[in-house]
Amino acid sequence: MAKYLCGSLLNLHCSIENCQHGEDFIKILHQCISVLESLSKGDTSQKVTIFTDKGCLKKLVDTIHRLTEEVEEFLNLNHELAIGICEHFDVLRKLQQGDYSVRASEDSPVEIVKMLGQLINKQRDRFLDYIERLKEQHAEIVHSYEQQNAILSSVGVAIVVVDEDMTIEFVNKELEDLVGYSKKELEGKFKWTDFVPEELLNTMIEYHKLRRISPHLAPRQYEAKIKDREGKIKDVLINVAMIPYTKKSIASIIDISERKKIQEQLIHSHKMQALGLLSGRVAHEFNNILSGILGFANLIEEKIEDSLIKNYSRKIIEAGERARDLAKNLLTFSRKEAVGESKKINLSRYLLEFAEFIRPIIGRDIQVKLKIPEDEISYRIDPSHLEVILMNLVTNARDAMPDGGTLTLGLKDVNLDMDYYYTHPLVKPGHYVAICVTDTGIGMDKETKERIFEPFFTTKPKGKGTGLGLSTVFGLIKGYGGHIHVYSEPGKGTTFKIYLPHEEKRDTLIIDRKALKGDETILVVDDDEQIRRYFSAILKDFGYSVIEASDGFEAVNIVEDNKELISLCLVDLVMPGISGIETVKQIRKISDKIKTIIMSGHPIDLKEFESIEKTISADELLYKIRNMLDKKE
Amino acid sequence: MADRVLDYCGLKCPYPILKLSSQYPNFKEGEIIEVIGDCPTFEKDIKAWCQKLGKTIINMEKQGDKLKVTIRI
Repeated sequence: MAKYLCGSLLNLHCSIENCQHGEDFIKILHQCISVLESLSKGDTSQKVTIFTDKGCLKKLVDTIHRLTEEVEEFLNLNHELAIGICEHFDVLRKLQQGDYSVRASEDSPVEIVKMLGQLINKQRDRFLDYIERLKEQHAEIVHSYEQQNAILSSVGVAIVVVDEDMTIEFVNKELEDLVGYSKKELEGKFKWTDFVPEELLNTMIEYHKLRRISPHLAPRQYEAKIKDREGKIKDVLINVAMIPYTKKSIASIIDISERKKIQEQLIHSHKMQALGLLSGRVAHEFNNILSGILGFANLIEEKIEDSLIKNYSRKIIEAGERARDLAKNLLTFSRKEAVGESKKINLSRYLLEFAEFIRPIIGRDIQVKLKIPEDEISYRIDPSHLEVILMNLVTNARDAMPDGGTLTLGLKDVNLDMDYYYTHPLVKPGHYVAICVTDTGIGMDKETKERIFEPFFTTKPKGKGTGLGLSTVFGLIKGYGGHIHVYSEPGKGTTFKIYLPHEEKRDTLIIDRKALKGDETILVVDDDEQIRRYFSAILKDFGYSVIEASDGFEAVNIVEDNKELISLCLVDLVMPGISGIETVKQIRKISDKIKTIIMSGHPIDLKEFESIEKTISADELLYKIRNMLDKKE
Repeated sequence: MADRVLDYCGLKCPYPILKLSSQYPNFKEGEIIEVIGDCPTFEKDIKAWCQKLGKTIINMEKQGDKLKVTIRI
């Protein structure tokens, strides 16, 4: 426009130059041309400064003034628009780069730029709100995740989350402890099957696959085994469930190795008890038969003159005597053999002498070591029993080391506390004397170890062992209220640990004998005359009046006639006619004031009745009777 | 010595600052750029641009009709 005007004015200027009155016009037109030229370049700073009131010139100058103003306004608008766009462009660029501290200016005089700024800021605020909400949701998710983690970590049982491909995805602290690997080592790196023993591998994989087809196809709870970092196999109880909307399973694992061990101990104990009862009865009957065989064989030997027949009868006697020894061992195992004379033995010195004694017996290629504490330890025991126990264990140790090795005899005082009781519920807490016999021999497998104390169980070649050695040891130790444990691994050796209750404990029952005296009347009921007389004699010695009965019927009759006189009845458990328990029940019906004690040849647990073993010492019997009569029990 | 030289001679305002803004995302923080223009309002525009975007004008030099502006980004 300005260029066009400028061109037209130049033509006009040429026309005027040719006229006479054109001098003033020319000056004005010069300025007009100059201003229009500047305007054409975008420069609005030039102005027409010469005043004129001449018709068309004034109109021209006024038009140029208006044009300059309009161009200036247009250029200003253009600049504002451009600068505004540049500024908003920069704000958007910063927002895109994640800098949410910026805001677009909303003060532009150009309406559209101002609105654009407002729009950008609204979008920015909305986006920030959205991010804020996302952050809150994220915090909630993290919080919930941490809560779940805390729950999983504090449930007290091992937890593992397993992916479809069996990769371990999550473990808690208990699982780390169970398998011996850290969380960092396990998660995403190990497969669940890496901890499953080979014999269970196929079953576990099958369960894993079936559970992912449908959870009810595989058991939810089952017992299994896992192997830890050291290769140790642990018995475990596993509970598995699928995690909803995933192919992952979550398993809680409880280590039941200790529980299993205790169960095995109880089963073993019950088995040994049953075997003891059975072998005791068999041996008892066998002994009765042998008495006849040996008695009559001796009579024959005495009566017969013929040396050949005499020799035959000698063979019968010898065989009978061997059979009697065997029965004796069985009785020892079942703890029916009478306890011999105990005396206080210095075990420290005894083991030193014993070690010297056995050196020539066990051979030069076996080294004997002793582990005996400086403080001497004594124990009240029948010396022949101690010798039988140690000789049997040492002989076994020697046989387990055909190529030589080391035999260690250990002795110490131990206090088996409640912690030990939790893992060995059959052992009462208290002070014990521990004797250990350890060899570095061939060791035993689990099956052998379980059966080692059973009568007639032997791993030795036929004719080399009777299979009664360790069962005799077992019976003797039980007879002293003790325990024997065996620890063995094939190829590594075996340790037998004997725990005998400390004599201080047993001595506590030895009290002032005067306090054991009494003047009450006691009824002793036993079909065995000797036993009856034995107990009567003890009781009479301590001032009691004694009435004897040889069976239950006689006992009940005597009580009927003397119910005011009799204070206590000592009744045998097994008798011809009515049993001891039935006899006691009938006595109780006659008078509830009369105390009753049942006597048994072997340990029994009668809940409703007071009972004692016939092997009880006189002091212990008198102590119990006194306590019952004085209503202390 | 500038890191970049942007010659907008021959372009009328506001094209020089619009082009400068479109190039701006390529610049690095602290970079020195030199912008040359010959539009009569170039000086006004470049000053406004620097003020709005918080950039520093280090030097401004007239070379005939041209104006050379040195800016720190």
